[in-house]
Amino acid sequence: MGIFDRMLWLIAARSLLQHRLRTSLLMAAIGGVTALLVMLTGAYVGIKTTLLVSATTLMSGHVNVAGFYKATASSSAPVVTNYKKVRALVEKEVPQVDYIVQRGRGWAKLVSESATQQAGLGGIDITHEPGFRKVVQVKEGSIDGLTQPNGILIFEAQAKRLSVKVGDTLTIVAPTFRGTNNTLDVTVVAIAADIGMLSSWNTFMNDQGLRQLYQLNDETTGALQIYLKDIEQVKLVQEQLRTVLAREGFGMLDPDPRPFFAKFDGVNRENWTGQRLDVTNWEDETNFVQWIVTALTVLATIVIFALVAIIAVGIMNVMWISIRERTREIGTLRAVGMQRGTVLSMFLAEGSLLGLIGTIVGGIGGVLGSIAVSKAGITLPPSWQFVFFSDHLVITPTLTWVGFSVGFITVAIAGISLIPSFLAARLKPITAMSHVG
Amino acid sequence: MSNGIVTIQDVEKEYSLGATVVKALRGVSLTVEKGEFISIAGPSGSGKTTLLNLIGCVDTATRGDVVVAGKNTAQLSERQLTDLRLNTIGFIFQSFNLVSVLSVYQNVEFPLLLQDKLSSGERKKRVESLLEQVGLNTHMKHRPNELSGGQRQRVAIARALVTDPLIVLADEPTANLDSQTGQAILDLMKSLNQQKGTTFIFSTHDHKVMRYANAVVRLADGKILGRESPELAVAHAVGMDAPAAPVQAAS
Repeated sequence: MGIFDRMLWLIAARSLLQHRLRTSLLMAAIGGVTALLVMLTGAYVGIKTTLLVSATTLMSGHVNVAGFYKATASSSAPVVTNYKKVRALVEKEVPQVDYIVQRGRGWAKLVSESATQQAGLGGIDITHEPGFRKVVQVKEGSIDGLTQPNGILIFEAQAKRLSVKVGDTLTIVAPTFRGTNNTLDVTVVAIAADIGMLSSWNTFMNDQGLRQLYQLNDETTGALQIYLKDIEQVKLVQEQLRTVLAREGFGMLDPDPRPFFAKFDGVNRENWTGQRLDVTNWEDETNFVQWIVTALTVLATIVIFALVAIIAVGIMNVMWISIRERTREIGTLRAVGMQRGTVLSMFLAEGSLLGLIGTIVGGIGGVLGSIAVSKAGITLPPSWQFVFFSDHLVITPTLTWVGFSVGFITVAIAGISLIPSFLAARLKPITAMSHVG
Repeated sequence: MSNGIVTIQDVEKEYSLGATVVKALRGVSLTVEKGEFISIAGPSGSGKTTLLNLIGCVDTATRGDVVVAGKNTAQLSERQLTDLRLNTIGFIFQSFNLVSVLSVYQNVEFPLLLQDKLSSGERKKRVESLLEQVGLNTHMKHRPNELSGGQRQRVAIARALVTDPLIVLADEPTANLDSQTGQAILDLMKSLNQQKGTTFIFSTHDHKVMRYANAVVRLADGKILGRESPELAVAHAVGMDAPAAPVQAAS
């Protein structure tokens, strides 16, 4: 920056300082909007992160190898036969893998002495589930109870609905993949804290118990849930797996970014039998709840644009006042040889400086506010927990989003300042100098 | 047309005031030679400021030619006019018109920064030397609002001269000053005119101020009445009988 540019910034800074009250009020407004944007984006990241964690704990890996087995063309079972061979292949061909778990999948009616509930069943081998233990917070009982063949873990809301506690018995009634109904008595070994919407229809039982219920052999499972060292690699690994599995002769379903339970109708209409594999990622398996994230994003965007519009009016007014007050000064500067472009730059510098300081202060305020809210552990009402995938408000400000918020508001304010600055620059020196007021 | 530093030929300037057209200048012709210390005198509304604005390229004539430093201002673009003002003309305003948020030093330095011709060291030397000449070298860090009216006008003079302009235009430079300070300002302008050979054109309605000029161009009702010696102009201004001296044509 040359000395002349420094002089323009100096004029801008001192002009703002000359009107401390006006500048402070406007900066507070800009800072407030920025802080709000930082917190909204933080909430967005928090929801996405919580969704990622809960989805990849409860119902999906980062990438999944699942599929359908069809004994006849019109009846399908969501299983992977000979999964050990598939797993070995994945371990050999995909170096990005952190660890793999196999999960049985089912859908059944849970019957207690006083109520019933439809729920998804996850067949889990708890001795090989490092992520599950970290995320699921057991409120009652022990997660190790899932090593018992007839153990089941349910969530708080389900326990309340079914009126059961740890040690109580539930009867599971499920249609098997062979078309008959089967029942199994299981014992509630753990009740875990709810994890938003996703935990409302998921339960976990011992893997062997699930095999027994659905009469599956040891070579068959519901899905291989693959966890990666770097989640950014999801798409790449997905493509890699499709290529490898196809190359090794496995029949593959066409890519379809929907959860497995939404694919039954389509698969049953297709004229093939035997095993076909499907490679999905965590977003595919949760796309039925992604609308929540989308809706919140749209809502936040509308709020932010409305606030920016209000700020824009404020900025325009303040710039107008500033220009009116300094019209004679503009005329003088033009008379002594300042070009129009430089007048524009001078006022633009003022607007940008106002925006930059306001947004930086707001950005810092937003980060501190987010940390404070998260640390306060504010418990959300049940209906909000359903949407936020968590029992408390999680706001996670990230450097990228804070940078975006500060940058976006600063650029918006500089852009808004451009209009009055441009009109100031267009003033004729004689008109500006003879301005009264 | 003569080759003066400023040549004005048959210039008319009209303003619209609603539906009324006001003729501020009516067929004015004037030549100012390099190094002159000339006063444009006349009562309020006679067209003094309009004439200075045309010479200073901050306004354009409705008809006629205004040639400043050999350039016909009607043929110049806005950018070229701004460049001409920056490099050829210095302005001293009645109300000083300093940038309130800049210090005395920065106000004087500003046109040099716009020019971007001198190194930092050369700029510093030039600004300090001028502030010393106008007696403000001890006030360089002060802001304009910390100065008296006379001191502010001295800053304005230093700012007008800092680019070494060919012409300095001063519109009623002493109107806002007490008579003692006004005299000091005129003495300063005169001495700078003599030292540097810079052309000064200043407007006034005050006959005491006219005495400082080498020549006085008398304006009334948008017309030049004549170019006179200061003594004759003062006599006209105070309504006395004119001394026996020849009246020159304006151009």
